[in-house]
Amino acid sequence: MTVLVFTGSLLGSMALGMPIAYALLVCGVALMVYMDIFDAQIITQNLINGADSFPLMAVPFFMLAGEIMNAGGLAKRIVAFALTLVGHIKGGLGYVTILTSCMLASLSGSAVADAAALGALLVPMMTQAGHDKARAAGLVSAGAVIAPVLPPSIGFVIFGVAGGVSISKLFLAGIVPGILMGVGLCVAWWLYARREDTNRLAKRSTKEVMVAFKDGFWALMLPFIIIFGLRFGMFTPTEAAVVVAVYSLFVATVVYGELKLSDLPALFVRSALTTAVVMLLVAAALVSSWLITVSEISTQIIDLVEPLIDHPTLLLLAMMLLVVIVGTALDMTPTILILTPVLMPIVKQAGIDPVYFGVLFIMNCAIGLITPPVGTVLNVVCGVSNITMEQVVKGVWPFMVAQLIVLFLLVLFPILVTGPARWLGGY
Amino acid sequence: QDIQDRTIKFGYFVNAESPVGHGVRKFAEIVAAKSGGKLKVREFPAAQLGNENQQQSALIAGTQEMAAPGSPQLVGAVKEFGLLDFPYIVSTLPQADALLDGPFGQSLLKTLPAKGIVGLGYFENGFRHVTNSKRPVKGLADLDGLKIRVQLNPVFIDTFRAFKTNPVPLGFGELYTALETKAVDAQENPLPNIVTTKFYEVQKYLSLTGHVYGNNIILMSKKFWDKLSATEQKIISEAMTEAIAYQRKISREQLAKGLDDLKAAGMQIDDVAQSEKDKMREISKPITEKFMTQYDAETVKLFKTELERIQKL
Amino acid sequence: MSRLIDAYFYFLKCLIALFLLGMVILVFGNVALRYLFNSGIIVSEELSRWLFVWLIFLGSCVAMREHGHLGVDMLVKRLPPTAKRACVAFTQLAMLYITYLITIGSWKEVLINWDVVAPASGLSLGYFYSSGVVFGVTTGLVLATDLYRTLSGAIPDDRLGLVRESEEIETLHSIPAEGNDRHPGTPQRAGS
Ligand code: NA
Ligand code: NA
Repeated sequence: MTVLVFTGSLLGSMALGMPIAYALLVCGVALMVYMDIFDAQIITQNLINGADSFPLMAVPFFMLAGEIMNAGGLAKRIVAFALTLVGHIKGGLGYVTILTSCMLASLSGSAVADAAALGALLVPMMTQAGHDKARAAGLVSAGAVIAPVLPPSIGFVIFGVAGGVSISKLFLAGIVPGILMGVGLCVAWWLYARREDTNRLAKRSTKEVMVAFKDGFWALMLPFIIIFGLRFGMFTPTEAAVVVAVYSLFVATVVYGELKLSDLPALFVRSALTTAVVMLLVAAALVSSWLITVSEISTQIIDLVEPLIDHPTLLLLAMMLLVVIVGTALDMTPTILILTPVLMPIVKQAGIDPVYFGVLFIMNCAIGLITPPVGTVLNVVCGVSNITMEQVVKGVWPFMVAQLIVLFLLVLFPILVTGPARWLGGY
Repeated sequence: QDIQDRTIKFGYFVNAESPVGHGVRKFAEIVAAKSGGKLKVREFPAAQLGNENQQQSALIAGTQEMAAPGSPQLVGAVKEFGLLDFPYIVSTLPQADALLDGPFGQSLLKTLPAKGIVGLGYFENGFRHVTNSKRPVKGLADLDGLKIRVQLNPVFIDTFRAFKTNPVPLGFGELYTALETKAVDAQENPLPNIVTTKFYEVQKYLSLTGHVYGNNIILMSKKFWDKLSATEQKIISEAMTEAIAYQRKISREQLAKGLDDLKAAGMQIDDVAQSEKDKMREISKPITEKFMTQYDAETVKLFKTELERIQKL
Repeated sequence: MSRLIDAYFYFLKCLIALFLLGMVILVFGNVALRYLFNSGIIVSEELSRWLFVWLIFLGSCVAMREHGHLGVDMLVKRLPPTAKRACVAFTQLAMLYITYLITIGSWKEVLINWDVVAPASGLSLGYFYSSGVVFGVTTGLVLATDLYRTLSGAIPDDRLGLVRESEEIETLHSIPAEGNDRHPGTPQRAGS
């Protein structure tokens, strides 16, 4: 019954077009009334103290870093470098897109930020070279969702805080699965591009490669700074986020000179506003999550899935299916926030490694950003490349399927996640 | 009837296997037995109900019934609670019991109802010890230059500065990672925290500095307390007295086991000589004296008489 | 009056940008000090968290005015005009009630915590919880205005629930119309 009150009030208010943050609060009020513990202070205590979290400060720092990278020419240089590396092979621009997506993903924490940058830079290039525009936009969209899986990642930060899982371990465990997503895209693109007849670019000389590498060097250093910093002792994940922001600010203003000080106020306002929107959602989710804790919904749900508890793989598949369904309609952050308190007790009960689960969960939420009908990454790519939603949905599906296959493989072979994570010293 | 059906949400911050968790469950058992199952205590370990500030606020508002934070949490509301965490005021467990259960500890509890909270007593968290990843610490000199995370408490910060360490501010939630990555060299906590948070995985050296006796104060919402009948209040108080005795017994039993476990996990454990502890006490004296001038004079007077009394134990 | 309101929200935007800058300086400063000089700013952790909380609640006020909060309006958009208007008004009323709860709840928190001080900075926790009051009052006023304009018909049917200031209509049209899971004017980079 409590489960019905929870889902009914939440989905009901969302269907009315209410912002999800407020829908979560309405859901909180409904739960309080149902449990007969109505008190406005339960809302405010959880809302305000929920926002009061040092680890979550990674969110604004990554937002800021993303803005700076796009405005400051870091993204552009990475594209140029990838172009010299793989631009000349058949369907080369597709591989350029995938390589760039991976490189940018290891700098940025947000799929939407990457989608904006990649869409603006690469869709026109691919179209000019004779690729189908819808397919190009689809590939860019699918590439952008690697960002939350390859560290750094806002998704891991939010999941880590909501589920009480080590953010550093999640970051290190996300590296190989993130790369596998890129590999999956390459296979899908290869299957598609071998039939396509497009202009091929000339092979670049080693010298040209070196020039592009030197130009992009400062940007390309960033992932190494993050991974070494985390692994060998300079900062915590939150601090890594601020280091990324300050470093990209330094590169964009001093090294590349593409960002003027007068551009900064607007950047800061935009990042702060986006942060507020995301974090209000996080804080509001903590209101309903507190009530879920107090109401013991999780025990009811565990009873519900009891028969599956002894079959971790089936259980994982069932949970992943649920996430895919929720992901079709919900953005990443709300999916994480709504499902984490519901799923984590099951994960613990079934003895599934929370870090491993976290990687699959976040990858699944990321894929949700490119599943219709609601996919924020699709919207952004439509916006920057001027095509319709129908077209981009047609273009994205082979790549979406490729990523779902990667996800499925990770469910079947957990060692693909846990093995490299242990090797990297995550645990 | 004198006893009504009531549910008590009891929140605490360490995990369920810690001595505090045992104490809470014992309390729940006794309360259920004494009330014929009418008073139910539900435990919420590991900060499930929110951080310390949130739970303190929730007690005052009456949206949560009970909590057991470390007593330094109350310094923000009643600064005299800071006296309990002065370095080296107690050196043995009987002294600690005598201070907390005696007139001074109880007088602190009496300041709480004015703040909307009722204090029911103190669970044991244990002596706080320093761990680090750099070198064995057997005395004051070995502390020199260690980057250490201490509790966000001015007395602690000044004391550890005087010990020539570099205290750095860091939330407890970030601490494991910071130690793992060696962003911070050292930390100080009681043994149960070191065991349950697995600091032994990322810290090589444990030094039994025992610089502070840490406790968890048991708090009840005054709004809730005032709703209870005299019989119910009596059940709660008596159950808590029993639970406290049990909890401290468990905590002490687990002490030796805790040290063994840490040793087995590969930690090097070093004793700190009494002469070194005396040195540290001397160094911290001017600091504590300075802070005492900011506290209520009556309370400080009682504190000093009590310290004299317990030194003889 | 409307210029005064614009100035207020402009001021809020300046504040949140400054708070973000403050957070960067405090947290980065701490990393640098710890790494280079083995020391740290003691208030850094606490103060940056407070700036963060204020940033979130002030920023959310601005987002409410610019209809930047994340949401799903696929269903409502398909309703006939009258039903749509009723739906939007009902939603706004419900949100108004939520902000009312937040306002009184935070006000009580301010009173409870007024003489409780934060460990590092020594500032009253009342300042921390006031963020909720400012948020509740500001957002409540924005919502009340929107509700009035919805009921009075000041907003045409096709822009219901998307109340925008006229000079910002440009941004409205530059946003793709289909499958839009957020209201126009959402800052382009959401948290994903
Ligand atoms: Na990333
Ligand atoms: Na989707």
